Parts: sequence; C-alpha cells; structure tokens
Amino acid sequence: MLAMVRRKWTYLVIGALLAFLILIPFDWSLGQYTVLMIFIGIHTMITVGLCLLLGYTGQVSLGQAAFYGTGAYFSAVLSKTYGVDPWLAMLIAAAATGAFAYVIGYPIFRLRGNYLAMATLGLGMIIYILFNQLAQFTGGPEGMSGIPYLSIGGFVFDNSFKRYFLVWFFCLAVLLISQNIVRSRTGRALRAIHGSEAAAESIGINVTQFKVKIFVLSAVYASLAGSLFVHHLTFISPQPFGFLASLMIVVMAVIGGLASIWGAIFGAATIRILSDELLLTFGEWDVIIYGLMLMLVMIFMPEGLFVRLKEVFERLRLRYQQRGTET
Amino acid sequence: MSESILETSGLSKAFGGLVALDRVDLAIEAGKIIAIIGPNGAGKTTLFNVITGVYAPTEGEVIFRGRPLSKTMSTSLVRSVPWFGGLSSSLLGTLLFFAQLNTPHHRARLGIARTFQNILLFGNMTVLENVMSGQHPRSHYGFLEAALRLPKAHREEESISLNAMKYLNLVGLGAHAEQNALSLPLGQQKLLAIARALATEPQLLLLDEPGAGLNTLEKQELSDLIRRIREMGITVLLVEHDMPLVMGLAEWVIVLDSGQKIAEGTAAQIQRDQRVISAYLGEEVE
Repeated sequence: MLAMVRRKWTYLVIGALLAFLILIPFDWSLGQYTVLMIFIGIHTMITVGLCLLLGYTGQVSLGQAAFYGTGAYFSAVLSKTYGVDPWLAMLIAAAATGAFAYVIGYPIFRLRGNYLAMATLGLGMIIYILFNQLAQFTGGPEGMSGIPYLSIGGFVFDNSFKRYFLVWFFCLAVLLISQNIVRSRTGRALRAIHGSEAAAESIGINVTQFKVKIFVLSAVYASLAGSLFVHHLTFISPQPFGFLASLMIVVMAVIGGLASIWGAIFGAATIRILSDELLLTFGEWDVIIYGLMLMLVMIFMPEGLFVRLKEVFERLRLRYQQRGTET
Repeated sequence: MSESILETSGLSKAFGGLVALDRVDLAIEAGKIIAIIGPNGAGKTTLFNVITGVYAPTEGEVIFRGRPLSKTMSTSLVRSVPWFGGLSSSLLGTLLFFAQLNTPHHRARLGIARTFQNILLFGNMTVLENVMSGQHPRSHYGFLEAALRLPKAHREEESISLNAMKYLNLVGLGAHAEQNALSLPLGQQKLLAIARALATEPQLLLLDEPGAGLNTLEKQELSDLIRRIREMGITVLLVEHDMPLVMGLAEWVIVLDSGQKIAEGTAAQIQRDQRVISAYLGEEVE
C-alpha cells in the first residue's frame, strides 16, 4: 500500500519534471535559459556516470572529464576534418572511448581508494595534455571551429531550441537506463562491491569485471555528452576538459547525492546555475565557493543535498497524510 | 566411507617464511557436518581462504567433486606481473579471464560458499537485498537486459526475490526483510550471512566461527539451523572454537596445529587424543 502511494508520488514528481522540461524553451520568460538547460543536460549525463561508479560501486574517478573530452574530440575531428556523418562520428567516439576505458580499466582497478583517485587524476591530466599537444589533429590550445550540426534527414539541429530537446532526450534516456541498472541484479552486484569486495567475490560476483564494466559505461555516457557538446557549440578547445571540469563533476555528483540517479540533475543544475548566473561577479574566485560547498555537503550531509531535501519533503508529506487520516 | 566432495593433497601455503599450511591432506565426506578445530594461528582460516580461492596454494591442490581447482599459481602470478600500459594490460585482462578458475567468484559458481569471521554483510542494502545478491551466480541476466528492463530481467528478478525470501525464512529472518542489514543484532547478522551464502545454492558451505559472540540460546538455534542445512544435502565445513558446540554438532572433527593436521576422528575420539590435548594445553608428548 505504502509502496503504491510512493510510486504514485514518484510518477507525479517525474511528470512534473517532464512538464517543466518541455515548457522551458516555449515560455518567453524562461526561454532565455534554454542554453543553460542544454549544459545542465550535458553535465547531468556525465554526473550520472560518476554516480554509478562512485556512489554505487564505491570507485572514485577524478578523470571523468577525460572521457568527456575524448568523446568531444573524436566527434569534432571525425565530422569536421574527415567529413564523417556526425551521428556516425558520435557512435565511433562512444565506441572508441568505451574501448579505451576498458583497456585502461583492468590495470587501473588493481588500485583502490586514494591510489585509484591519483591514477584517474593522472589519466585526466595526460589526456588533457594530449588535447593541447596533438595540434595537427585537435587544433591545439586555440581549438577548432566550424564543426557541423547534428541532423536527421533534412532536419538540422541548428538552433538551441531544437538542440535542447535533442540533449534532454539523450539525458533522460541515460537517466532511465541508469535507474534500471541500479534496480537490478547488476545494481545489487555494484552495491555489493561497495559494501565488501571480499564478500562480493564470495557470492560469485566478478568484482574486477563489474568495476571495469561500470567504468566503461560511465565513459560512454561522458563521451556521448562530449559529442552533444561539440555539435551544440560547433567549436572545441581543450579548456572545458581539464582537471577543474573533472572536479566540478565530482561536486555535482556529491551535491546531487552520490547514490541517487535523479539527484544528478539537481547537482548539475545547482552548479551550472551558480557558475553561469549567480557567481559571475566572483570571477576566478568562484572556485572557492565550490570547494566550500563540497566541504560543507561532505561534512553535514554526506548522502547529498538532494537526498536530504527529498527526506525533508517525504517527512512533510507523511505528516500531511497523517493529519488527513486523523480528521 | 562414502564419496568425498572436497579433497586436498599436500596442501601448503607459505607467507614469505611463515608456513601457515604444511602439507595438509583432507578428504571431506559429502553430506556431513565436519568441524576444523585448532589453537589460534593453526591455519584454519588460511585453509578456508585456500579452499575458496582467496589465496593460491604454494604447493598441493584442492579437488572439488573430483575436479582439481588450484593446481597452478597462475592467478597470483598474473596478478604480480607489473603492467606496462594499454596493450599488455588488455592481454593481462584476457589471461585473467582464463585464470578465473582460481578466483573466489568462480569457486562460488562451482558450489563453494562461505561466511566470514567478521561477517562482512553489505551495509548499504536491506536484509532481503543481501540475500538477493547471494543469488547472483544462479541468475544470468546482464547489463543490457537490466538497462532495458527486458522480460528476462523481470522473470529472473521475481524468482530471485522469491528464492531470497525462502532462505531468509529458513534462518528465521523473514520478518526483518526490509530492515537495513546492519541494524540487526550480531546474532541475527550471523544468520543473515549464512542465508546469503545459502542463496548461492552451494554444495559445500564453509562457516568461519559461526558461534563466536552468540549466547547459549542463539548457539542452540545455530546448531539446529546447521543440521537443517545438512538435511538439504549441503556439506557443512566449520571452523569453531566453542568445544561444546563442535562436539554436539560435528560428525567428524579435524584438528590443525601450526599448519599441520595432527588428528581427525569422531568427537569422542578427538577428546581422548593425546596429541590434541597437548596441542591445546601445551604438554610434551611422551
């Protein structure tokens, strides 16, 4: 009974979210936020990957921006320089990034905890340097422009209004797929690995294989996000794929709640709104605010700001329902 | 003597200079409750870890249902090889894939389940989910079916939760299914760990000190449960320090001391064995 009521509320909340998402670009007062919402969608996709990896499986990665970058650069270089169809380029980018994550995953997951964090940090830095140095392909620090838009048949995603729906279609698909994975045999295996690796092995879970698989999945999410990103901006430079970007993804995941799929939207939205709208006056100093937020959330609500807000909401709702049955 | 489910021959395990297991020969009879006893540091838990594939033996082999499991040290060798980047690592990955016969998760698939001295429940799950995760090696649907909620995932999920509930009821924790696993008192946590191991549907169940920290009543219930598990056709091998529990339960007792098997027999025989007494009390053997 309680489960049914809860499910009804879940559908209600998701329905409201969908309605909100659909209305944004049409509403004249909110329409100016369409571009912001595109970036929120893109960052949500990367954040969900990190939630699966860090929040559910307990494996830290400080190099997610590297996969975001490889996806973006594969898409950019293939579609611009080699004239590959953007969709095919996106697919190749995701496959290549996934394969790269798979190859790097086996040695990297010999490591645990802080050592894993350092290794992924290093991975992110190496990739970032490659983006800068392989100038004959990537255009170096100046980047490259004139990357084509995505299109279906004759329909070209040539303005933000159209791309908004494209990005959120991908984003919601990624969220849905992730939620399904979490609530499955695979999701239990991932959480088991987080709980105790020795115990997970003892009940037949191939710990290394699952870690690598979820690492690959998170890399593919980031790669897709990167492809959408370049076909939105039609310009690419190494700057958005550096260490700071990896760190921001961690902050987004933490604020949304590490073990919360839908919280990723909240985390990505909070940080994007802060960085694009509210903290512009701070200039370079905004990094301090993010650091402070990360610290405060980790100390006072390690389960995440979004999860905490959800609990408060749940409690209020229960009180409201009890009052309803009493009278 | 009937068919043995597990045999070891000349099984040795050394950690550097420390010999934890010294040429141990065992033959574990199928369908029995067998206890391994011995003073602290006798190598009991090391023996469990070698049987379940956590450690590769230095010498000798483990034979499960007539099939040699750890003839070589391939797993540990591959693990100790340093990696030199992408190509060799994927090669290592492939090698590891073929060496999986020696890893604990593969042993679980073959039908060897275990519990741990320090329980190791999954604190991030409910009681029921802990047992459901034990069904992992007996279910098959993977990432793709899960991601797209295909019918196969639905069907398996249903049977997984039904089976898990069955094992939970067997250990008497059915009423606590929705609680967090670590909110249970110690005695019930130990029962839950047994339920999780049973959910892998093993032929051989290894229990590492199941009675430690339990009160008299809980020990009685534990004995009953272990007998019921035996009735299900599962061979139970347990390490235990509690002598009354062992003597009341075990049909065969194996005694280890300093990594060597010093005696085996029925409980009554072991209690009279001079070498066992001296191992425990530190007397000189005449």
